[in-house]
Amino acid sequence: MGHGRYIAPAFGGGVHTVGAGERLVLDFVILPGQSQDLRVEVDLVGEGAEVTLRGLWLCPADERVSVTVRVHHRVPGCRSSQLFKGIVGGTASVRFDGTIIVAPDAQQTEAYQENHNLLLSETALVETSPQLEIYADDVKCSHGATVGRLNEDELFYMRSRGIPEADARILQMISFLSPVTANLSETQKADIESALSSML
Amino acid sequence: MNREEEDRIIREATTSEYKEGFVTDVEQEYVPKGLNEEIIRTISARKQEPEWLLEFRLDAFRKWRKMEMPSWAHLDLPPIDFQDIIYYAAPKKDADRPKEIDPKLAETFEKLGIPLNEREVLAGVVAVDAVFDSVSVTTTFRKTLAEKGIIFCSFSEAVREHPDLVRKYLATVVPVGDNYFAALNSAVFSDGSFCYIPKGVRCPMELSSYFRINARGTGQFERTLIVADEGSYVSYMEGCTAPMRDEQQLHAAVVEIIVEKDADVKYSTVQNWYPGDSEGKGGILNLVTKRGLCRGEGSHLSWTQVETGSAITWKYPSTVLLGDHSSSEFFSVAVTNNFQQADTGTKMVHIGRDTRSRIVSKGISAGRSQNSYRGLVRINKGAQNARNHSQCDSLLIGSACGAHTFPVIRSANPSAVVEHEATTSKISEDQLFYCNQRGIGPEDAVGLIVNGYAREVLSRLPMEFAVEAQKLLQVSLEGSVG
Repeated sequence: MGHGRYIAPAFGGGVHTVGAGERLVLDFVILPGQSQDLRVEVDLVGEGAEVTLRGLWLCPADERVSVTVRVHHRVPGCRSSQLFKGIVGGTASVRFDGTIIVAPDAQQTEAYQENHNLLLSETALVETSPQLEIYADDVKCSHGATVGRLNEDELFYMRSRGIPEADARILQMISFLSPVTANLSETQKADIESALSSML
Repeated sequence: MNREEEDRIIREATTSEYKEGFVTDVEQEYVPKGLNEEIIRTISARKQEPEWLLEFRLDAFRKWRKMEMPSWAHLDLPPIDFQDIIYYAAPKKDADRPKEIDPKLAETFEKLGIPLNEREVLAGVVAVDAVFDSVSVTTTFRKTLAEKGIIFCSFSEAVREHPDLVRKYLATVVPVGDNYFAALNSAVFSDGSFCYIPKGVRCPMELSSYFRINARGTGQFERTLIVADEGSYVSYMEGCTAPMRDEQQLHAAVVEIIVEKDADVKYSTVQNWYPGDSEGKGGILNLVTKRGLCRGEGSHLSWTQVETGSAITWKYPSTVLLGDHSSSEFFSVAVTNNFQQADTGTKMVHIGRDTRSRIVSKGISAGRSQNSYRGLVRINKGAQNARNHSQCDSLLIGSACGAHTFPVIRSANPSAVVEHEATTSKISEDQLFYCNQRGIGPEDAVGLIVNGYAREVLSRLPMEFAVEAQKLLQVSLEGSVG
């Protein structure tokens, strides 16, 4: 998979330091009913360090979730990639705050961050703030954030083929989350899929 | 390219001249330095203002005194001594020729390429309101515009001649205590433009304000108010320059725009205040509040800005989309070089149903400058089917500068769709190589690539501005090849 030391996927937050040639993969899942203030900080301190962060949150009721992610590129030649997906309904409110900092002289940095949210109810709130602070020029950095709804055309397509609306919506959510869930274990996937029915 | 050559080119570029940096030697009258209620009364009296406006100013001043300077921006803002600024400076009027413009002032604007003489311009091109320090010197084409019922004059004149209109709309978009600098402006504002387009009228020419800071030790606090009544259309442009000085000068403006049902306003700015020298000495502190209110159904407001000047820019032209089906756009190119700092962006607040907004921001940083995009897209509960798309790109030229993106998206409506994307990169070696091997020198190649990069925004500018803006981009970045 990567080069150097491979740190196994782990659930949870905290501060992580990644040294030269090391590779860190971090997945986190916030299931329904969990109000959380999750903070993840990653320091890339050795050349060639690499980090992959993936996460998802399902908030169908009155959860208060705050996710703060900081990835700090302190030295040249590091790579970071982040992908976060959330589904928010009920009266839940979710705040995502993600920052990529590229220090001066941290050239040849590649840093990517994506955060996508589905907002399902009139009373829920999503706030997302993806930030880039870049002090070096030879970099490739991008971020993207969206807040939106399930695609009506897709839904119509499935319903016209006899799939009940509830099932169709769950299928859509499974597909929306799949880039994050792809790397999780089968039991974890099953947990997430069964939690999705509470989102309707 | 090797480091030495790079350094040489950057050195050459940064010493290139700011050609608007001259001073006009004209007799001026000032109010004393400092800020207190007495000064505000003096300014108000000198402008022969009605009582309600004096009260408005004093109320703003009292609010301002309780406020603190904002520190959230990604700027290294020097402490400002508000008692060390002259809040009002006006060229002395020659008593014998009250109707005529002082030839020295006319010459100044001539030198800046701003036509004040109507005969010299092709009919129906641009009407200009020229503001010199604290007063408006002249407004052209007033008669032609008046025939259509359009009011275009200096703010002070509007207070005298159309007090009802001014009173009805003043501070309805930017409240007195909105923020620190807006409160300061509300207390001491001098002159600016007032513009009213009546129902169903399409303004036949571009309206334009030109702001010039000339006097030493002064600040400029202009106030502009644009009202587009039902079904009207206007395209408004704003330009600005200042002399080269070692000291920093303050410019704190407020612009308010009201767009009624089905009206359409296009607001363009080419901001070219003195940016300071290559050591970061001097320059204008440009701390500006601009906001539009799309009040009526189907109204539309479009912002286009090209920011190349100022030592520090703090500016977020924003739109409140109150009317159903209203829409707004924000197109921006911000260039920073040497020690310039810019923290600029927009706010789109969706309140009405089916409201649409689009943001395109292109930041270019060179030298040792810091360039930030800061934005807010807010979808309120009632904003059914609201839609926003934002794109913010940054281009870095040289390894000592910074480019930052701070967007906030807040959505409370499940039928709304909001998208934001941003990229940061440098001019690619491949693009440069491609140009070089076809005989285009590195400097021209950078100019070409930057202009291409900013094209989406530049193409939105009115013709007269587009040419100037392209040249400005070239000059601001000359040679800063990375």
